[in-house]
Amino acid sequence: MISAKRISVRLGRSPILHDVDFAASPGRVTAIAGPNGSGKTTLLRALTGDVPFTGRVEINRRDLASLDAFELASMRAVLPQSANLSFPFTVREIVRLGLVGGRSGAAGGALETIIEEALIRVDLAGFAGRYYQELSGGEQQRVQLARVLCQVWRPVLDGVPRFLFLDEPVSSLDIRHQLVIMNIAREFAEAGGGVVAILHDLNLTAMYADQVAVVHRGRLAAAGEPRTVLTDDLLETVFECRLQVSVAPPSGGMFVLPQSAANSRTT
Amino acid sequence: MSHVQMVANRIGWPMRAANGDRGPLARYVIALLGGALCLVSLFSMAWGASDASLFAVLGDWFMSETDSRLSVHERIIIYEIRLPRTILGILTGAGLAIAGAVLQGLFRNPLADPGIIGVSAGAAFGAVSVIVWGGTVLAPLTYFLGLFALPVAAFAGALTATMVLYGIATRHGRTSVATMLLAGIALGALAAAFTGLMIFMADDRQLRDVTFWSLGSLAGATWSKIGTAGSIILTSLATMPFLARGLNGFALGESTAGHLGLPVQRVKYTAIITATAATGAAVAVSGGIAFVGIVVPHMLRLLIGPDHRYLLPASALLGAIMLLLADAVSRTIVAPAELPIGIVTATVGAPFFLWILLRKRGIVDL
Ligand SMILES: Nc1ncnc2c1ncn2[C@@H]1O[C@H](COP(=O)(O)OP(=O)(O)OP(=O)(O)O)[C@@H](O)[C@H]1O
Ligand SMILES: [Mg+2]
Repeated sequence: MISAKRISVRLGRSPILHDVDFAASPGRVTAIAGPNGSGKTTLLRALTGDVPFTGRVEINRRDLASLDAFELASMRAVLPQSANLSFPFTVREIVRLGLVGGRSGAAGGALETIIEEALIRVDLAGFAGRYYQELSGGEQQRVQLARVLCQVWRPVLDGVPRFLFLDEPVSSLDIRHQLVIMNIAREFAEAGGGVVAILHDLNLTAMYADQVAVVHRGRLAAAGEPRTVLTDDLLETVFECRLQVSVAPPSGGMFVLPQSAANSRTT
Repeated sequence: MSHVQMVANRIGWPMRAANGDRGPLARYVIALLGGALCLVSLFSMAWGASDASLFAVLGDWFMSETDSRLSVHERIIIYEIRLPRTILGILTGAGLAIAGAVLQGLFRNPLADPGIIGVSAGAAFGAVSVIVWGGTVLAPLTYFLGLFALPVAAFAGALTATMVLYGIATRHGRTSVATMLLAGIALGALAAAFTGLMIFMADDRQLRDVTFWSLGSLAGATWSKIGTAGSIILTSLATMPFLARGLNGFALGESTAGHLGLPVQRVKYTAIITATAATGAAVAVSGGIAFVGIVVPHMLRLLIGPDHRYLLPASALLGAIMLLLADAVSRTIVAPAELPIGIVTATVGAPFFLWILLRKRGIVDL
């Protein structure tokens, strides 16, 4: 269980978040949505303890401030919005970094196999020997996800649920791989872990999220099930354009939706 | 790939495995470097104006004193001059290369070299202060620390420079390369100015000491120097296993290192202290020897990859080898005179630095 009460963040002189409440439960995919610059990443960074904030964040009923890096790393893994790398690591070496700190939960001897399996899950089988810097943007993003998966390989460890924090995990992926990654998130939640994901795609949010929190200008605009939260009115206020939920374009307009592919085997 | 691969298979050289695991290759390279260091050290002991040959030296180790073919005179040369010089070379080379590798891991940039970003200049300022002010302003320091005063002052200078630099160049866990290099140049210039001021105030005897020291030579190697500098450098080598894990995590940035469960602040400060202590000690005994810290880790990264678990020990070994070779060149190229070793390393290192810049302009334009 992640629970945050009255989170406010200032960066430099400007206030970025104002009294945001947030909760995410194990077994659920919780999405954070909102326009660019609304404070989604900042909220996530407060939840992971990367920016100073006022208010209180608890992870599995323990105060975030009282946990050290190792304890935190064994309860949650974080996929940042962007990562830049300084040295020529191979894909395997990057994914292995997921195993340096926390506790993957896998048996000691199985660590190298986890790396392979994680790469297979993100559809990068056979990429272990490539140089990270020589991969495409979408491939790099999936390598990072494989690293994050290794860190919390078992969604529940010693009876304690673990969490994935994903900042725009599908932002540079093609449609099939968006579904692959969202299915991984789904499975992680179904296995008892919790997922907090920042998503820009409202359609994917509606398909995969059990809960959604909408952030607007540093405040929480709404939170709850996508069905109740994502209404025409809310979307119009938050995104400042006239969006209509579940309305097909007037006859002749073309649209492509992934729903039909979502539950088929995509890998 | 094919030809290289075939030759590699023939000689049993482990290439970068198709599965991306460079561990076996790295261990192989480290073993080779270890062997090479033994050979180069022997060579360094047997090499010099006196013609005590390699076999005579080896023989002396394995035979009783009466059987040895070495004269008393030769034994003095070998055990009181060449052996300390060789050991000091190994320590300094290892120290400088490790300092370079650690700073590069910390700043996440292959161009961070103690000599370039002002860390050595800070150390030099500390060392010169002790030489010039040792009898007056800094008398308490020299009184309490004795022989350690020079390396400790050099360490303090290097530490100050690094802390200031890190504060300037790193914001929110991200290091701006341009800021790092430019701030490093400015800090180096400032430290050099202070050093110049010190020299300006020095009397003739101190001036001679400073000049002798700053020529950067292993010629003055003594067992007591080895005791002081060696203990500092060996201590910093001992932090390698802890640092290796931490610096690997730093490759993805400070905040990711934290997410991975690494104690970021502790890694950072251990890295800074290790790198500056090693630089300080090396600078204190041998003056300014530049570029070892940049050439060695970079070559190794090309060969075995950036995993610090292998990079750090391999850098220590190759650094020692390179410095012994540079010392051999400096001893022979203008024999019977000696070229300061710093000139040799800079002649090789500076073009190498330019070569990295040209090949990887991208890393500077971050
Ligand atoms: N280090 C910083 N210093 C000052 N202001 C910042 C800093 N980082 C972000 N901001 C500001 O905080 C606000 C929220 O940024 P944040 O990164 O949380 O947005 P976001 O919702 O994640 O946007 P996006 O969808 O583009 O990723 C923005 O207005 C941004 O300009
Ligand atoms: Mg963001």
